[in-house]
Amino acid sequence: MARRLALLISLICLALPGGAAALDRVAILAEICSEDFRAQQSALESLAGAGADNGREGAVWARAVVEGFEGRDLRCGADGAYIEGPEGLVSAETLARAAPEGDLSAPSVNLRLRATAASAGFVLALFTEDSIEARLRAAGRLDRRREAVSAPVLAAALEIERDPAIAAVIVEIRTSLLLGDPDPARRIEAIGAIATDATLRNRTTIAEALENESDPSVRAAAEAALAEIDRTLAIGKALATLYSGVSYASVLLLAALGLAIIFGLMGVINLAQGELIMVGAYATYFTQELIRIVLPGALDWYLFLAIPVSFGAAALVGIVIEATVIRRLYARPLMTLLATWAISLLLINAVRVGIGTQNLEFHQPAYVSGGFPVIGDFIMTSNRLFAIAIAIAAFFAVLALIRFTTLGINMRAVTQNRAMAGAAGIDTRRTDRLAFGLGSGLAGLAGLALSPLYNVNPTMGTGFIVDSFMVVVLGGVGSLAGAVVAAFGIGQINVAIEPVYGAVAAKVIVLLLVILFIQRRPEGLFAPKGRR
Amino acid sequence: MHRRSVIKGLGAAALGATASSLPLPGLIRRAHAADTVKIGCLFSSSGTMANIEGRLNYVARMAAEEINAAGGVLGKTVEVVVTDPGSDWPLYAQLGRQLISQEEVASIFGCWTSVSRKSVLPVVEQSDALLYYPLHFEGEENSKNVVYLNSPPSSSVLPAVDYLMSEEGGSAKRFFMLGSDYVWPRTINQQLKGYWGEKGIGADAWREEYVPVGHSNFQTLVNEIRAFADQPGGQPIVVLTVVGNSIPDFFREFVNQGIAAFDVPVLGLDAVEADFEGLDTSELVGHLNCWAYLQNAAGSRNEEFLANWASYVGANDVPFRPDVAIDPMVSTYDGVHLWAMAAEKAGSFDVPAVREASAGLTFACPSGYEISMTAENNYVKRGVFIGSLNETQGYDILWQSEDTPTPVPFSPYMNT
Repeated sequence: MARRLALLISLICLALPGGAAALDRVAILAEICSEDFRAQQSALESLAGAGADNGREGAVWARAVVEGFEGRDLRCGADGAYIEGPEGLVSAETLARAAPEGDLSAPSVNLRLRATAASAGFVLALFTEDSIEARLRAAGRLDRRREAVSAPVLAAALEIERDPAIAAVIVEIRTSLLLGDPDPARRIEAIGAIATDATLRNRTTIAEALENESDPSVRAAAEAALAEIDRTLAIGKALATLYSGVSYASVLLLAALGLAIIFGLMGVINLAQGELIMVGAYATYFTQELIRIVLPGALDWYLFLAIPVSFGAAALVGIVIEATVIRRLYARPLMTLLATWAISLLLINAVRVGIGTQNLEFHQPAYVSGGFPVIGDFIMTSNRLFAIAIAIAAFFAVLALIRFTTLGINMRAVTQNRAMAGAAGIDTRRTDRLAFGLGSGLAGLAGLALSPLYNVNPTMGTGFIVDSFMVVVLGGVGSLAGAVVAAFGIGQINVAIEPVYGAVAAKVIVLLLVILFIQRRPEGLFAPKGRR
Repeated sequence: MHRRSVIKGLGAAALGATASSLPLPGLIRRAHAADTVKIGCLFSSSGTMANIEGRLNYVARMAAEEINAAGGVLGKTVEVVVTDPGSDWPLYAQLGRQLISQEEVASIFGCWTSVSRKSVLPVVEQSDALLYYPLHFEGEENSKNVVYLNSPPSSSVLPAVDYLMSEEGGSAKRFFMLGSDYVWPRTINQQLKGYWGEKGIGADAWREEYVPVGHSNFQTLVNEIRAFADQPGGQPIVVLTVVGNSIPDFFREFVNQGIAAFDVPVLGLDAVEADFEGLDTSELVGHLNCWAYLQNAAGSRNEEFLANWASYVGANDVPFRPDVAIDPMVSTYDGVHLWAMAAEKAGSFDVPAVREASAGLTFACPSGYEISMTAENNYVKRGVFIGSLNETQGYDILWQSEDTPTPVPFSPYMNT
């Protein structure tokens, strides 16, 4: 390993005739500490070149300084600079433990300098990282962050790079730097390299180059590249709109699924439905806190471990509500309206007093944070994908339950004709209670799926109640498939209107459309068959 | 008639509830009435604003305690009367009237949102009372009955935008304005557009979007911001004027779509530390806000203030964090002191005398600036801070003004 390293270093030295002067560490650190924006900027840029000029040791040092600066761990004192490490201060010059004399201050790190430092950090990672994945990640990030990138540094990085995949990324970045090259063939090459990643940002780069271009062959290449990018971007845009619509629909469906059973099948106007969502989210939070203490290693999977907990907690609350209040009011639906509203206020204020009004902090495991680019500028965000998956799974589970289980058959029977079902020997009261529990549990599950998307606080449920009723009524009271179609329709229409007329108008237009539709077709999209 | 009496009843109940939680029992208070002077607080302890507005009640009490420890005002002990308008805008006016006519307070400290201030305004003007308002706001108002403790856009938003347009701040050239749909964001954006127009920045360099108050699904808008950012024309920034829980929802989507602060910095005009409770801010480092005070302000005055707040929270069992101080808290604190100084100077608690005596007052604000008032209007000259969000849900100071710019109540950019 060491021999190989020595070989690499000598290779670099050969590649750079005349060898390289060691970086003047003291001078560079003084510049970074100078509080003069331009000096800081140029110091960071010269640090980015340390990998090319000073071999691995220089690169390791430069990277420590750059990352210390970016992470605001760098401290400036009268006798030099220091970096705050995990084990205390080290000298920024030697990276050895040191005890400073006098007061230390942190240099100001504005956005410009941070961008340059981040870019320099990625460049230096190419020279210092041993793991292939880490280098590949750095090379990928470098593509978007080119403040400290220059062709000679990339050439030096290529010299020592042995992994073909990483080398290919570096070559591409280097090629794309040639857009200003005097040789037209090189410029065409650069356009090709840039166009491989069809984003609006790259389109802008090529379009700007095209404006000042006089060579006809380059112009033709640029125009062809632009047309190609435009096609990809259009696909990406269509997919992004579709995805936004589907993810919004999944939120609506999750919130409405429980209500589709409680209101749709049982006919109870449950205004506390939103608070059952809140109960589910809080149950998720407490599961997370419990796992943090009991099983810290499994913390990343708390969302899955919390599925039964959130469902169970909300179902339990629902069954208690049913047994204490709603059971007595089946004959008086308007009273349930008032009673459930009171319950909703009660739950909100109980949580407010007991736990507090602040938003809860959730651990965000990798599968619900960030997103991944798919095509063009379309980024699929993980937290919404998670919600979509839960919504689909919950829908099919409920569908199966209603179609194939005894409880489902009983529920359908009681819905269609309560007296007849009772006469046939179905315990209608027990069925009511279980159905209400199921509807509440589904709301709890919604709370879990929505916790990576929205703020979790005592009043979070109130925002969902109107949307849920809208979906259930539009879909056709009592029809689960109707709820899906309604959620999808509202989601897509909303997302299609929003970019054109704005979010405020989108809300108004969607509500108007729903009103018009209900007027024409009061039974909703899918009218249930059977006697009510 | 019936409805009004219900509201009155509610207000009285709220007053009663809070009065009983005061350190002095009612009986003793009455006995000492001759030696005390009352000031009133109009900050919500319940409803949507409770989490941020509620803490201002305690800061006002803390300031009053400081004044009392130093001998009171004109030999009288300051007593704070707290109300709870419950984030219900009309109730601010109702309770404001009650404070003036029944409690006979010498001055009122209150309101967070502009809409609540607009609700109290006719009440204080009618009975010639004095309201100290601690939030930075949209300006375009200059009542002799309101002391505007915090800055209008000319001395908060515009310097921040100027900084972002400077080379050091990233040479911002294009602006995406995203706000909640009500008076404050719309007025601010109107002034910004006028300002940019004056600087020769054309209408193609900005976009303006509004969402309903409480909006939570920012997918489409963040997509739009990305598309806006990738177009030619120079560095883009977002000027964010959404309020309340829309702030964390916006930032969550922003991060998930992979936009870093140095790609597109967000200037969150209503963002305070409390908005980021519940969010992992390590991916949000570098986003900006601008206020007249940040917790990290240097100087012994700030250390003293933070230590006082921490010990006050500990000693009085205050339900807020002892280690978080936000600008409106400091503004309220300044306000109580400014009022006490003015009354002392005037030798009277009468509103016209206090108002007159306010001219020329200076106070060493915890922000480190010597804040001051002129005879010209009821605005307070404050410093300007631009904060940069850090990993621990706090703001580091990125830039601060050399001195305290003179506030301009009516923006010249409003109708351009």
